[in-house]
Amino acid sequence: MASSVYYKFKAQKDESKISFDGTGISVFDLKKGIILANNLKDNRDVDLLLYDSSSNQEYKDDSHIIPRSSSVIARRVPASRPGKGKIPMYVAGGASTTAPASSSGHGGSMPMPGRGAMSMRFDNKREEIASKPQ
Amino acid sequence: MPDYPTLSITLLGAGQEVGRSCCVLQYRGKTVVCDAGVHPAYEGLASLPFIDDLDWSTVDAILVTHFHLDHAASLTYVMEKTNFRDGKGKVYMTHPTKAVYKFLMQDFVRMSGTSSDALFSATDLAMSLSSIIAVAAHQQITISPGLSFIPYHAGHVLGACMFMIDIAGLKILYTGDYSREEDRHLVPAEVPPVHPDVLIVESTFGVQGHEGREEKEHRFTSLVHNIVRRGGHVLMPVFALGRAQELLLILEEYWKKHPDLHSVPVYYASNLARKCMAIYQSNIHMMNENIKARFQRRDNPFVFKHISNIQQVRGWEKKIAEGPPCVILASPAMLQVGPSRELLEAWAPDARNGLIITGFSVEGTLARDIINEPDEIISAKGGHSIPRRLSVEYISFSAHVDGPQNYEFIEQVKAQHIVLVHGEQSTMARLRAGIQQRYKDRDEEVKVHTPRNLDELKLTFRGERVAKAIGT
Ligand SMILES: [Zn+2]
Ligand SMILES: [Zn+2]
Repeated sequence: MASSVYYKFKAQKDESKISFDGTGISVFDLKKGIILANNLKDNRDVDLLLYDSSSNQEYKDDSHIIPRSSSVIARRVPASRPGKGKIPMYVAGGASTTAPASSSGHGGSMPMPGRGAMSMRFDNKREEIASKPQ
Repeated sequence: MPDYPTLSITLLGAGQEVGRSCCVLQYRGKTVVCDAGVHPAYEGLASLPFIDDLDWSTVDAILVTHFHLDHAASLTYVMEKTNFRDGKGKVYMTHPTKAVYKFLMQDFVRMSGTSSDALFSATDLAMSLSSIIAVAAHQQITISPGLSFIPYHAGHVLGACMFMIDIAGLKILYTGDYSREEDRHLVPAEVPPVHPDVLIVESTFGVQGHEGREEKEHRFTSLVHNIVRRGGHVLMPVFALGRAQELLLILEEYWKKHPDLHSVPVYYASNLARKCMAIYQSNIHMMNENIKARFQRRDNPFVFKHISNIQQVRGWEKKIAEGPPCVILASPAMLQVGPSRELLEAWAPDARNGLIITGFSVEGTLARDIINEPDEIISAKGGHSIPRRLSVEYISFSAHVDGPQNYEFIEQVKAQHIVLVHGEQSTMARLRAGIQQRYKDRDEEVKVHTPRNLDELKLTFRGERVAKAIGT
């Protein structure tokens, strides 16, 4: 059975979740999951920071394991140097034992690995525009 | 050090960038947010201002300067997806801004469609719309005891206003986008009658000067005429509303004078614009004397003889692309994804065709990159490259102040602190240097700030109009 970690962006009202196999997920993989689930992967001018929701401590160590069922706060901040944010590093980094297998937010689902989320979205959008009468 | 009250200014967006305007003012326990936009180079969450850094339930008011997406399109998200409604925050914009905003945002929601990163739904939008308070220019609005503001005309687009905000006697003028030139339909921005302590001003064009209006219009109409004469199509990517109305007025007049052009259709591909025409027509009183006079003569300037709206049925772009020469205004303005991009891709390989970029192009978009006339462009759909042989011309009709106009306005406003927003880093740095030099030459003192996003600017004020910057 898949495990989950709950997260919300600091300003958001509602929580979403990232699902994975195992008893915990690394900070690296959780960041990667959140980046993909929220389509932040092309965003080079921001960094994504994660915090423990009860202590407000930032998770600075990417290898730290967050136990399943935890709640995490995410925060988008400007990259210290514009265009040099760390997001591409998380998107590119693949090797991991606890890679997110699937996820579902409240009403959203994470793109499956290998599915070109970008072109997929454009296709959807195009359909949407074209099929609207007038 | 005595405990003087501190004004804190934090940009959640538009700090050393153009896009996602969002400025937080905090003073004596009050919090006012000016604008809530999105960044046109991004989609979904990535396009939002850095909203995680504010507890939205503490906000007393959000003031939206005008309907452009980079100033207004994250408002629904803020109102419905954060804890904003846990507080007592009110939201204000002018009547015409609200009327146009509604249609624009309905379109925005439709465009985001079912994609996984749609920021909010049509229901969220409807919910938020009903609690936006519409106000009139020059009206003093009291938000709560000790907190009020007055909107002043900003030119730029229909309904655009700057806000003179009064927090416990401290006055801050936030301009939003503004223009000081009277154009074909709008009045120029006003200089407010009171001098604020702090001026937060746009700096899109930095120190750069605009070319004269007549010269520019002549260059524009000749260019259009030449492209048509050589058998090409003319594409103008525009934001559906705002400057497009100005371009239409210019083209209509030119077509009227040139019967040889009457066989060449001018299209305006915007359902939105059709819906919003009624708003333009009912807000003639907010426009300039020229428009008012024509309207009185029953010569409705927004009824066009030579310009037609396209029925946007499935596949219309292909039909237009393959049809005879024409002139078309289509969105999106930044050529991201949509009709303007599709037409561009179809017309790019033919040297007879021409692209005219008529507004400010935001960094990171094709509208910006194509100004350098690359040999190829990349298809938004297929990712393959397409040769670019069509001509590319940049003639700016964007209604932002240029350098000289901005200097003049800044000097008339006479604030001790000037905060530059809504400009790229280097553009802003040049403007800051320019302002400092001018004040130095006259032996006057002024502080010019160019905070980056989330760099909190703290200003302390003791007594009247004496202010000192601490920190950054
Ligand atoms: Zn604008
Ligand atoms: Zn703007």
